Amino acid sequence: MRQRRQAGIGAVLLIGALASGLTYWLHLRSLEATLVRAWPAELAHDPAIMRFAVSLARPIYAAHCASCHGADLRGNRTLGAPDLADVIWLYGDGGIGDIENTISYGIRSGHPKAHNVTDMPAEGRTHQLSAPEIDDVVEFVLNLSRQPHDELGAARGRKLFYDKGNCFDCHASDAMGNADYGSPALLGPTWNYGGDRQTLRQTIYNGRHGLCPAWINRLTPAQIRALAVYLYVESHPRVTLAQR
Amino acid sequence: MDSRKHPTESSAPSERPPNDFFDPSKPQARRSMAFLALGALIGLGIAGYGLFTAKGTRSHTVPPEDLALINNRPILRSDFMTQVQTQFTVPFAQSTPDERKKVLEDMVAEELQVQRGLEIDLSSFDPDVRAAMVAGVQLEITADVMAQQPSEQQLRDYYAAHKDKYVGEGVLRMRDLVAKNGNALQAMTALRAGAPVEQIMQRYRLEDSGALMDSGHVDTGEIFEFAAKAKLGAAVYAAAALLHGGEISDPIQQSDGVHVVVMLEHRMPAQQDYATAADKVWTDYKSAAQTRVLEGNVAYLRSRADILLSDDARTLEARSQ
Repeated sequence: MRQRRQAGIGAVLLIGALASGLTYWLHLRSLEATLVRAWPAELAHDPAIMRFAVSLARPIYAAHCASCHGADLRGNRTLGAPDLADVIWLYGDGGIGDIENTISYGIRSGHPKAHNVTDMPAEGRTHQLSAPEIDDVVEFVLNLSRQPHDELGAARGRKLFYDKGNCFDCHASDAMGNADYGSPALLGPTWNYGGDRQTLRQTIYNGRHGLCPAWINRLTPAQIRALAVYLYVESHPRVTLAQR
Repeated sequence: MDSRKHPTESSAPSERPPNDFFDPSKPQARRSMAFLALGALIGLGIAGYGLFTAKGTRSHTVPPEDLALINNRPILRSDFMTQVQTQFTVPFAQSTPDERKKVLEDMVAEELQVQRGLEIDLSSFDPDVRAAMVAGVQLEITADVMAQQPSEQQLRDYYAAHKDKYVGEGVLRMRDLVAKNGNALQAMTALRAGAPVEQIMQRYRLEDSGALMDSGHVDTGEIFEFAAKAKLGAAVYAAAALLHGGEISDPIQQSDGVHVVVMLEHRMPAQQDYATAADKVWTDYKSAAQTRVLEGNVAYLRSRADILLSDDARTLEARSQ
């Protein structure tokens, strides 16, 4: 009799656990569906979904993104992997939709929809600029970013920036960069590869060709959207989940 | 005492077996069957879920990540947002319902027409579609190679291994004269002695071969080596290539007579140093890398393809190897 009672309790607990698991699973699927179905602007008004997205994204980021962008999202200058926790975004306006697009298709990833309008050209290796001219452009960039620089060199570099070097074409006349091309602002202090004299010289001489893989067929739509929300939250200091 | 008991009373427990369905210490056939049925039901449920939610499964509901399904082909919400922003150059949040409607209709129309193209197998007969598909596939295959930047050392190594590719084109000015009367040897001797070309031509009745003509006139201007090679023919060019300015070739027997080459000026092809050839080295390096990847890909595709060759095609294949 006692054994029968114990077995009955066990069966009830098992069924209860199964039912709870199924309910929780359905709840997660429902949250995921809501997450991917909502337009980005709507998400901002749903703190529960935002919190769910962030909790979903953290392990995914650790598994797939942290190796390049760092566990703290602060990037890696050796790899040219940008800081994902600052407000500066190379492509788009840093909204959830633009981040999601970049994660989905990547940068120069080989996917036809990837960001791939242009590269940072190798101005030195292709003889677009001579070595002394590159030094002058470096001084100009140091000037722009309020670092110690040579005034005469910077003045010559300024002319090259708008003239022979054609730098303004991508980095814009005000050196603020262009989010359509993924060309960064040159005003510092944020740099993909580094803003010191030697690194700038290397960048201009050899060019840069940063890559980010396309995740569209490796992560689910919900995972990609969750990552986009996570990076949006982390890079927008005024957006806090507690406030919502 | 036992003998006075009613037979039915004493046999009752044996007729009604004890209910030990929930007693795990005792084997129970009904319990085993129940668990079997439960397991089968769970299995069927999982299989059914997988079957009806798998990618490509015909569905009457639109998955949450999609805005629409066109004959079961999705239009992704993220693609839709990007398209709205691109088409109307406004952030998606600021786009109007009319703008979104227009983009949706355009995307549906595009998808329908792409599907129609596949339906009528457009790629099997339209050269433009085939070319676009080939270009697209090649672009996808070579994307990594195109994006990778060779180091300075890799470029220098490539230059060292292919130095013969970086030889500047030679330039020459010359006359190609033909003797049809056995006077070639005397003409050659006189020319080597320094007699003027026109005078020797007249004296020994030499003709210009006509190989180097420009608008009906004999061209004595500068001409690139490759052009001279194409116009003169192998034997005459081989003789000309060795001559320096002011030198006269030996007589060269050809079908139209005996040729004598008078080299007026010859700037020989010169080896370019790395710095001069750097642009071309970079281009050649990338091009070679792309070619390697493309050839490797075609070899892979051939290895997994079922290609049946006719006898004559097989003969051709054997020749190419």
